[in-house]
Amino acid sequence: MKRNRFLNIILGGGTLAWLGSIFYPVFSFLNPPKRPEANVHSVKAGPADKLAVNSGEIIKFGRRPVLLIRMDTGEVRAFSATCTHLDCIVQYRQDSKQIWCACHNGYYDLRGRNISGPPPRPLDVYPVNIVNNEIIVSKPKQMG
Amino acid sequence: MKNQNHASFLCLAAMAVLVLWAAGLRAAEDDPPLSETDQCLSCHLDDDVMPQDYGEHDIHMQKGLSCAGCHGGDPANDDMDDSMSPAAGYVGIPDKKDIPRFCGKCHSDIDFMRQYQPAIQTDQAEQYGHSVHGAKLMRGDTSVAVCTSCHSGHNIMPASDPRSTVYALNVPETCNKCHGDAQYMKKYDIPTDQYEKFKKSVHGQALLEEQDTGAPACNDCHGNHGAMPPGITSISHVCGTCHINNMEYFAGTKMAAGFKKKKLHGCEECHGNHEVPKPSDKMIGDDKSSVCAQCHESGDKGFLTARVLRTRLDTLAAAYRKASVMKERVNSLGMDDLDIEFILQEAKQSLTKARTMIHTFDTLKVSALTTEGLVKNQQAIREARVQIEAYYIRRKGLGASTFIITLLIVALYLKIREIERRQKSTTGEV
Ligand code: FES
Repeated sequence: MKRNRFLNIILGGGTLAWLGSIFYPVFSFLNPPKRPEANVHSVKAGPADKLAVNSGEIIKFGRRPVLLIRMDTGEVRAFSATCTHLDCIVQYRQDSKQIWCACHNGYYDLRGRNISGPPPRPLDVYPVNIVNNEIIVSKPKQMG
Repeated sequence: MKNQNHASFLCLAAMAVLVLWAAGLRAAEDDPPLSETDQCLSCHLDDDVMPQDYGEHDIHMQKGLSCAGCHGGDPANDDMDDSMSPAAGYVGIPDKKDIPRFCGKCHSDIDFMRQYQPAIQTDQAEQYGHSVHGAKLMRGDTSVAVCTSCHSGHNIMPASDPRSTVYALNVPETCNKCHGDAQYMKKYDIPTDQYEKFKKSVHGQALLEEQDTGAPACNDCHGNHGAMPPGITSISHVCGTCHINNMEYFAGTKMAAGFKKKKLHGCEECHGNHEVPKPSDKMIGDDKSSVCAQCHESGDKGFLTARVLRTRLDTLAAAYRKASVMKERVNSLGMDDLDIEFILQEAKQSLTKARTMIHTFDTLKVSALTTEGLVKNQQAIREARVQIEAYYIRRKGLGASTFIITLLIVALYLKIREIERRQKSTTGEV
C-alpha cells in the first residue's frame, strides 16, 4: 500500500513537471523578449514627428547601427552609422548639417558621400518610408 | 466637342514628335564617320601611319576634335601639300619643350573649355610651370615629364575612366615609368624605389590590392600638374588633408615645435613616406622597436610618456580582445550577442580614438579615452556572462526534464505492473 502511494505521488508530480517542461518553452516562444532580430529586412523607427527637424538619432538595424536624420526640409534619411574608415559610429552635426565621424574627423554629406577626412567610401543608404507617421527603415538593395 | 478637339490636337502632337524623332535617328545614322570626312584621318588610316599610341577612345576624338584640332592644317582638303601647309595653319609635331604651351592653347582657355564642362579646371599649364618638371623644362631639360608623358599623346582619357593612364589605380604605374627607371633618373640623383615602397605601404595596399580608389596615389601627396616633393612645413598639411585629427593634435604639441626648429619632417619622421606601414601600437613605447626609441633615451621624459601611453593602449586592447572572445563564445553557444556587439563597437571606438589621441602625447587625454573603453569592455563582459549563465541554466533545465520524463516512464511501468498484479490476485480469489 505504501509503495502504491509512493508511485502515485511520483506519477502525479512527474506528470505535472512534464507538462511544465512542455508548456514553459511554448509560452516563452509565444512571448519572446523584446530583442531585435539579427537578420532584419526593415525596422520601425518610431513616429516621424518625434524626430526633431535638423537632428539625428542612432537606431539598431539588426546587427548594424543606422543613423536616422531629419533634415531642415523635414525629409527623413537613413545611413549606415559605421564609418567606412575604421568602423567608428558616425553622428549628425547640427551646426554644419553634415555627418561626422569623431574618430578622425571624417565628414559625409547628407547623401552619405565622403567629402573630407580619411573615409574612403560613402555610407550605405537605407531607404526610408513614412507610413501613417511611422518611420520604416529598410535594408539597402545592394546588401541582398 | 471641345474634348474631341483636344484629343485630335494631342494625336497630331504625338505624331509630330514621332516624325521628328525618326528624322533625328535617320540623320544620326546618316552622319558619315569622322574617318571618312576628315582627310587627315582617312589618309593616315589608309596608309597605316597613325601614331603608335593612337586609341579610338581618345577624349578629343570622342568630342569631334581630330588631328587638326591640335596639329593644325585643313582636314577638309584631300591635297596633302595644301592641307599640311603653314598657310592652312599646320603646326605639325611640337617639340617636347613646347608641349605644355601646345596643350595649354585650349586647356588654359576657359572660354573655349567651358563648352565641354562648365566647371573645368584651366590652370594645369600654369601649375606645371611651378612644378619641378616645369621648372626643369624651362631650363632646357627635355627629359622631364610633359603633358603627354603622363596623359599619353593620342589615347587621352579623363581621369575618371579606368582605362586612363591617370585613373587613380593607374597613377603609380604611370609615374613609375620614369621614376622607377634607375638609368633614366640617374642624372637627377633621386631614389627610384618609391613605387616598390609604395606598393608595400598601407596606402599602396589599399589602392593597388584592394582597388580602393579612395586611397591616395602619388598625386594626392605630391600634386599632379604642380608636382613637387612636399617641404618640411607642408608635410603635415599634406598628410593632414586626410588625417585631420592627427595633424591638429600633433600641431599643438611641443614636439611639433621642436621638429620645426630642427627642420624635421612632421609625420614622416615616425611614419615614413612612401612606405608608410599600417600603424600599430608597437610603434609607441619604450622598447627598442618603437619609433619613440629612435630619438628618446631611457629615463628621459618622452621615454616615460611613451611607456605610459603604450601601457594604456595595451590594457585597453587586451580588454577588448577578452570581451570579443566572450562575445564569440556567446555567439557559438547560440545565445543573443546583439547588445554585446553594440557595446563592443563603442569600446572599439574608444580604442580608435585613443590611438589617434596619442598624437597629443598627453597621457591624461589618452587615459580618459582608455578608461571609457575599459568601462565599455567590462559592461560587455558582464552581459556575456549573463548570456553564458542563461545557457547553462537551459542545459540544466533540459537535464532535469529528461530526468523527470525517465522517472515518469519508470513509475508508469511499475504502476502498470502493479495494476496487472492486483487484477491477477483478484481473479485468483474469485
Ligand atoms: S573611423 Fe571614421 S574617420 Fe576614421
